Amino acid sequence: MQKRNKISVAVFHLSFEIWHIKTNTVVLILFAFFCNPGNIFAQDIDLLFKGGRLIDAKNKIDAKMDLAVKDGKIFKVASAIPVSEAKKVVDVSGLIVSPGLINMHTHVYAGSKPGFTDGTSSQLPDAFAPRAGITTVVDAGTSGWKTFPDFKSKIIDGSTTRVLAFLSIAASGYSVDKAQEDINEMDAQMTAETVKKYPDILVGVRIGRYETDDNWTPFDRAVEAAKLSNTPLFVECHLPKYSLEDQLKHMRPGDIMTHAFENVAERMTVVDENGKVRPFVLAAQKRGILFDIGHGGGGFWFNQAIPAFEQGLWPNSFGTDEHRTSMNSGMKTMLNVMSKYLNMGMGIPDIIARGSWNAAKSIKREDLGNLSVGSVADIAILSVNTGKFGFVDSGNNKINGDRKFEAELTVRAGKIIWDLNGLSAKSIAKIN
Amino acid sequence: MNNTLLKKITAHFYFLFFAVCLVSQTSVQAQEIDMLIKGGHVIDPKNNIDGIMDVAIKDGKIFRVASNIPANTAKKTVNASGLYVSPGFIDMHVHVFAGAEDPGYAGFGISNGFGSVAPDDFTFRSGVTTVVDAGSSGWRNFPEFKKQTIDNSQTRVLAFISIAGYGMVGTVHAQDTTDMNPVTTAFIMKEYPDIIVGIKAHHYQGHDFTPVDRALAAGRKTNKPIIVDFGSSTPKLSIEELFMKHFRPGDIFTHTFSGNAATNLTPGGREPIVDANNKVKPFIFEAQKQGRIFDVGHGGGAFVWSTAINSLKQGFYPNTISTDLYRNSRNAGMKDMANVMSKFLNMGMSIQDVIVRSTWNPANVIQHTDLGHLSVGAEADVAVFNIREGKFGFMDARGSVLNGTKKLEAELTLRAGKVAWDLNGISGPQWDAVK
Repeated sequence: MQKRNKISVAVFHLSFEIWHIKTNTVVLILFAFFCNPGNIFAQDIDLLFKGGRLIDAKNKIDAKMDLAVKDGKIFKVASAIPVSEAKKVVDVSGLIVSPGLINMHTHVYAGSKPGFTDGTSSQLPDAFAPRAGITTVVDAGTSGWKTFPDFKSKIIDGSTTRVLAFLSIAASGYSVDKAQEDINEMDAQMTAETVKKYPDILVGVRIGRYETDDNWTPFDRAVEAAKLSNTPLFVECHLPKYSLEDQLKHMRPGDIMTHAFENVAERMTVVDENGKVRPFVLAAQKRGILFDIGHGGGGFWFNQAIPAFEQGLWPNSFGTDEHRTSMNSGMKTMLNVMSKYLNMGMGIPDIIARGSWNAAKSIKREDLGNLSVGSVADIAILSVNTGKFGFVDSGNNKINGDRKFEAELTVRAGKIIWDLNGLSAKSIAKIN
Repeated sequence: MNNTLLKKITAHFYFLFFAVCLVSQTSVQAQEIDMLIKGGHVIDPKNNIDGIMDVAIKDGKIFRVASNIPANTAKKTVNASGLYVSPGFIDMHVHVFAGAEDPGYAGFGISNGFGSVAPDDFTFRSGVTTVVDAGSSGWRNFPEFKKQTIDNSQTRVLAFISIAGYGMVGTVHAQDTTDMNPVTTAFIMKEYPDIIVGIKAHHYQGHDFTPVDRALAAGRKTNKPIIVDFGSSTPKLSIEELFMKHFRPGDIFTHTFSGNAATNLTPGGREPIVDANNKVKPFIFEAQKQGRIFDVGHGGGAFVWSTAINSLKQGFYPNTISTDLYRNSRNAGMKDMANVMSKFLNMGMSIQDVIVRSTWNPANVIQHTDLGHLSVGAEADVAVFNIREGKFGFMDARGSVLNGTKKLEAELTLRAGKVAWDLNGISGPQWDAVK
């Protein structure tokens, strides 16, 4: 009896609760209907970027739009999202809202040894990425299948910046010793298996240095590993015995040639002595070979890049070839490299596309480089600073310019990891 | 031939002779200078220079500082009009023992670990040519630090050595007073007198002055200053006692503007320099007057707007401006040396006062009077910078922003006469001028 009573009381309570909720809901819906439909989502949004010029090549957006972030993901993109729906609002009017930038060519296997692999020539990703609006870096084969696990545990797993990588066909990666040119250490099968084992991190295969002779086995093994793992091949410099034309012939559509606009002895230039882009280069581009900048310390020359740009050989991505000897040279930052193209005449939407969505597509990571609802909230908020600037190439020659990109805010998985001018600050300090 | 004519001819001859001498003099001088930085506003506090001057560099050294040095005497001329020219900045609190060692206990590794950063990544792009590592290594691993980082950096790297044997491997090691040996520390310091500039005591939670006193013992043996990251104990230890009963003139208190009025009420941690009413405590002025050095050491958590603004307003200026550059400060409110210097500009400090605290003052504090000036014969470490105008914001360690209108930007940084950074290519030719 008592038990029954308790149950009936409980049932009564439950039905009251349901009624109560229903009533509340009805009231809420009515309230929302008559007042502001936004209020129903009150403070649902963690972070709202208001009033920026949103450029999202994947979704073909270039317009004034608000961007809402929730739980580390893109929650909503629309014009005029009410501020009352957000826990935190950042005014980004006058600024560009872009997907977090992807740097296609870096060396970030930093460590204590001489050289790049686990070495002092590499740079830590978080040292340069956030301040340049970069949320993803792609390591260009600093590790090979033998060294990748160490790279992963030491650097990749502990970095705020997302680190992806091309795996070098050389088992050790990009070490200083001659071992990287030992053909016996270039195992297509092991390389492909490693790439397949870490599909979230490894995006392709890279051939980087082979100076011994004109034996095509290393190159062919790299292509083979890329085929076996169904990923693109990334072709670096330091292959002096292979002609440029032959390299392009060995590459498949979707494979990437970096250092596109270099002017150094070890590779033929893309532009000939008369300032014309070589026909076989344009043919390769037409066939679907992609060209990355790979600026580095020696890989970008205006006497290549400017004629190439005028004749339609545009880079697909703005890899910087970031490392200890390029960082303080004409390269400086990915934004500086992008600014060169801005002042050469490329439009802002074209530049943003190459810094984000085009790069993502080329490494088959279409989850990145866009601001689609549900995508990870990797965002770059950029300003275009106007003034009198100069931009330097690898030969120390310069162009003058009047515009320069700057990273105002960088957001990685919904968290602000760089804030140049305190746009997201909690309070304002006063001097008087 | 009459006398007048003779006189005329002689006069002409003398004139010609003089002119020929002048010309040949010039051609002797011609292109003697490797680089001439022309028309900049030179600020060199040591030499009391504050005005438009040319700076000539030859063989990696300062060759001449004067107004109107002819451009034809230089192989290369850089137009610095509208820009400032100063000695390369000295950032006397950084952590650059970058490496891949993980000590595996309490705190990430600043000593040979990912907690440190590589110096060249941050220095030249903010006008810095010398950094002083603040105790990342101890006597046991200083030689490794030297081999791994110091010898391989383009930036000049000097160091305070930690009184803890392994340096800053983590909070646990910082408590181990059995591994704080002034004798072995002083021994290593004497092995590297040109690089090691003093001793650091840090992160000690015990309610006593043991690490400070051990560091002082090593400092007395070597005649070098100590730098202290003070105050991890509960209850708080008195900073007045630190300054007046332990410090010698020349010893350094870093993280000067950490904490605020409210921090006085917390049971433990570092005692702030301001009281509950934001007044700078009287003994702070007295300590500075008696030669105690106050360093900024911004870091990830050690710079609070209210404390800095109130201190400056009351006439208390830090002796040296420094960053405490390490993993957790580089992407936060600190950013880099130029940004920290800009904060002081926007608080109302003059550019001259900012520069002296970033060049000649730190050079004196670390007893490296060979650095931090542009005297003839000095190594040509030079910062050429602009003060950009616009609307900027500067964050402190607590997410608070100060709005400002000025920002220091490094245009050209020379290390030993070599271009280590050139933001806008002012030292290079136009791309299509080169064939």
